[in-house]
Formats: sequence, C-alpha cells, structure tokens
Amino acid sequence: MTRLIVRRVLWTVPVILLVIFFTFVLMRQIEGNPFRTSERAIPESIQRNLEEKYGLDDPWWVQYARYVRNVATFDLGPSLVLRNRDVNDIVREHFPPSLELGALAMLFALVFGIPLGLYAALRANKLGDYTAMVVANVGFAVPSFLVATLLIYFFAVRWGDVFDFPTSGWTTWQSKVLPVIALGIGPMAYFARLTRGSVLETLQQDYVRTARAKGLRQRRIVAVHVLRNSLIPVVTAAGPILGFLITGSFVIEQIFAIPGIGRYYVTAVTARDYSVVMALTVLLAIIVIVANMVVDILYGILDPRTREARS
Amino acid sequence: MTTSPERQDQPFVFPSRRRKEQRYPEPPLGPSEAGAPVRASSLWRDAWYRYIRNRGAVIAGAVFVLLVAYCLVWPLVSPYDPYEVDFSQASEGPSPGHPFGTDQFGRDLFTRTALGGRVSIGIGFAATLVILAIGVTYGSIAGFLGGVTDNVLMRFLDALYGLPYLPFAIIVLAIFGGGSFWTMVIALSIASWFTTARIVRGQVITLKENDYVRAAYAVGAKRSRILLRHLLPNTLGVLVIAVFLELPGVILGEAFLSFIGLGISPPDASWGSMAQDGYRAYRVSPHIIIVPSVAIATLILCANFIADGLRDALDPRTRET
Repeated sequence: MTRLIVRRVLWTVPVILLVIFFTFVLMRQIEGNPFRTSERAIPESIQRNLEEKYGLDDPWWVQYARYVRNVATFDLGPSLVLRNRDVNDIVREHFPPSLELGALAMLFALVFGIPLGLYAALRANKLGDYTAMVVANVGFAVPSFLVATLLIYFFAVRWGDVFDFPTSGWTTWQSKVLPVIALGIGPMAYFARLTRGSVLETLQQDYVRTARAKGLRQRRIVAVHVLRNSLIPVVTAAGPILGFLITGSFVIEQIFAIPGIGRYYVTAVTARDYSVVMALTVLLAIIVIVANMVVDILYGILDPRTREARS
Repeated sequence: MTTSPERQDQPFVFPSRRRKEQRYPEPPLGPSEAGAPVRASSLWRDAWYRYIRNRGAVIAGAVFVLLVAYCLVWPLVSPYDPYEVDFSQASEGPSPGHPFGTDQFGRDLFTRTALGGRVSIGIGFAATLVILAIGVTYGSIAGFLGGVTDNVLMRFLDALYGLPYLPFAIIVLAIFGGGSFWTMVIALSIASWFTTARIVRGQVITLKENDYVRAAYAVGAKRSRILLRHLLPNTLGVLVIAVFLELPGVILGEAFLSFIGLGISPPDASWGSMAQDGYRAYRVSPHIIIVPSVAIATLILCANFIADGLRDALDPRTRET
C-alpha cells in the first residue's frame, strides 16, 4: 500500500511538468504582446529593454526551464500588465474565494446527492424513485447560470425582504449560500444518479443476500454492507468533479461578482498578461492533478482488489 | 403454485432486476427472420427493438429530433427578422404573436432561439465529431499496438487529464483571436477527447481477443486490414453512445464561454450569448434568460436519456453501471 501511494505521488511530478509545458507552448501561440500595444507608443529601445527585463527575448527552452524552476520555488514572477504586482499577490488574493466556493459546493453536492441517490435506489421503480430521478436529471441538465439567476431573482430580489440574501459578493455567510447552491446543484444531481446506479448493483451482490438471510435489519444492511461498497464509483467521480468545481466556477463567480480566480482569469487572458495566465492555469492544473491523485489513493484503500492487482 | 421447469434452471434474480429485464424482451422472430439474409444487420435491429421499448429514450429521441428540426426550419419560415431591432416592442412577455416573447431589442425570441440553436447544436455536433476523430485514432492505435506504445500513449493521456477544461478552451480562443463557430469547435474539442480515446482503446483491446481476429491473422490479413475491417466497425456501437455522452458537455461549454463573453458575440446568436443578453435584464424580464436556458436544458436532458437508451440497447452487459 505504501509503495502504491509513493508511486502515485511521484507520478504527479512528470504530469505537472508536462502540463506546464503544454500551457507554455499554448501561451506562446497567443498573438500580441503586453508591451507592444498600439494605443501606447513606446520607443523600440524601451520595448526591447522591457522584453529583456522579463526575459521574453530568450529562446523558449530557456524560458521554460526558468519557469519550471520558479514554479518549484513558488516564485510566480511579476505581473506583466499590472506593474508592481506579483503573481503571488494575485494568487493570494483571488485564490481563497475560489477554493472556498469549490469546496463548499462539493460538500453540498455530496451531502445532498448521496442520500438522494440512496433513497431512489431503495425505492427503485416506485414513485419516490421517479421523483428523485426527475429532480436529478433536471438538476443535471439545467445550466448553472440559469440556476444562479433564478436564485438571485427569487431569494435576493423578489422575496428579498424575507430571505435577505445579497445578490453579490463573498463576505458574509448569507452571501455564500446562493453561489454554493448554484454551483453545487449539477454535481449533486450527478452524484445522485451515480449513487442510485451503484446501490442498485450492490443490492444484487451475494453478500447482501447473505446479510438478508442472516436476518439483519434493512437499516444495518444498507449502512454496513450496501452504502460502503456503493460509494466506490462516487469517490472515483469525486476527483474530477472537485477539479471541475474549483476550475469551472467562472460563470458563477462572474454572476455573483465573487473576486475569485475565474473572474480574474478572463481579464488576464484578454490583457495578454502571460505570467498571470500561466500561473493560474498551472495552479488550476495542479489542483486537478492532486485531486485525481487523492482519489486514486482512496480508491486503493476502499477497494483492496485494486491494491492486489497492482502490487 | 408449482414452478415451471425453466424457472428452476435460472439463477435467483432479485425482483427489481427481474422487472428491469422484462422491460427489454427479446425482439420478435418474425417471418422476416426466416430468410436470414444479412447476419450483420441483426445486431442493429436487435438494438433498435431494445431501444424502442425504452419509453423514456423514445420520447427523448422524438423531442431531440423535433428540437433540431425546429432550429433548422423555423428561421426560414418565420415572419420575423431575427436581427431587426424594434424598441417599440422590446422585452415583451410571451404572447400569441411572440410565443417566447421578445428580447430587450424587440427581436422575436422564438425565431432567435431557433437561430441560436443552429449555432449551439452545430458547434455541439461538430466538436463531438472532432472529439470522436481524435479519440478513435488515438485510442485504436494505443489499444491495437499494445505493449510499450500503449503504455506511453496512456501515460501521456493520464497527464492530459490534468488539463483544466475551461481555462484551456479560453487560451485556445485567445490564440485564434476570439470566438467564432470554428474557433469554438476547436477550443471545445481540444481538451475533451480523452474519455473517448480511453473508451475506444478499451473496446479495441476487448475485441482483439476475439476468435475472428485470430482467424483473420491465420489467413494472412494485414494488420491495417484487421484494424480497419474487423476492429473499428465493431466499435461503432460505443461511438454512437459516445456522441450523446459528449454532446451535453460541449453544448454546456459553448454556453459558458459565450455567457462570460468569450464565445459567439452579438448580433449573432447562440444559446449561450442569448442567455448572456437575458442575464443583463433578469430583474425586469426574466423570460429572456429562461428561454435559451430551457432550450439548453431540454437538449442536454434528451441527450442523456438517448445515451442511456442507446447503452441499454447496444451493450446490454453494461446496463446500470
């Protein structure tokens, strides 16, 4: 088991290097240059000095090597557009809200999605199942910007006197309720569907029949024998979903005016702020990679069969 | 009550499972089967019988076809010009003249939704085809060659899984200098072909072990012929499912990008850019954002049900997983 974990952790290193490389190659394809904008006429010599200062005139492999070294030492360099601001500052300022939003939405999705799916599976093909699955299917299909807009429309504007949720911001707990629901509802529906399918399958297993034959109560069978074994596919899906929630909250951040990475990212791309875009992309990629790594390790712990097969 | 003889032979099945299987009875062996002309078509006919017995999937398929037909045909016959601005009837709610109401520029939303649907669905299908093309090439090479090649290709794919989807789409859009139909297609497909590649690889590896492949080798068929003639045609079932699995993600991706202002830009319409228009006016006329969003939701809902139905129909073994 330890060997598996060590191998899995070490494996993330080349993956991160490769992702940095991709981002690097792609970024170089973007036309334009933060110092060569048409509206500010900067003399050629100054432009060249600026490019030299930020190392933009070096060959690409020198830039790449320097960049990898800087990422490894958590020095993300200066912003190219906002003078006197380090990318580190920007990350420190805009990253926590995104992280918090993603984590809370994930929590929301798990806390409501798994019970919903379990409930549906236990009443398979009955009214309760159909209701739960209609909710899950619709929740999965409706785009988050509609959910967000409707939540704002009803709970912040129309019935604003009753509920007192603000329409934007990320300060008080009230301001966090609506964005978390809006972002979490899709994954919640996804988890519900996944749990239902998985529980239905587990219910057919021999060990569940044995438990029934032993005369165990339904509650104990479900809690001990069914749920634990049914959660493996949910855990597997949770990694990519967590990555998606943290990296994919662009729309929600824009609607609720949350000062997170997503909103800043779009601005940085349009301004050709290479160092910021690079840093944020690599950071987001690292989150996804680490989330996947954690899932793989959890998977090994939850399902001993995979452990034996690999070692 | 006595149990019938064939009942005793069957393994014990839980009632919930039993009911499921009754929903997909064997296709009737009608007189058309007697001649048994083409054995190859029977897989697809069996699948068709299983599909049309799944009520949800049939309804979803019908709604899907209707929605696509509406998007294609309505702009041609609509009495309204989807681009004509008329502030005298801006932001009207639904009425007999305008079933979905009008937007803040007084344009008929029923017509514009059809027009936006052309772009959204068009991007969706085009990107899905690109995803399939890349995924099939990559996956079949990895699965067919196996060994070191497979290992290297799959480790590389693992690494690509780390790419965050939307940020990469945004960078790609920036490279091409903004959103248009084809730049959106490229941006949306470039970071989402990994799953399809994996599915195809898995399928090819399974198929490779079949006796008919060994037989083909035995009669001296070339490897390229085995791949193109014996393996790839048999992945078709999985690919048909993959189309409807990938479509929702791509359509949502388009909507998100257009919503944050990086995709299709006015006066051209896509469902995402219409939702963005609607978002600006949600306090006074929420119907402007609801109409395109519901269109997106309907399409995604249908695609999900169709994918489920196709999976049950084409690959009964993987049911409920």
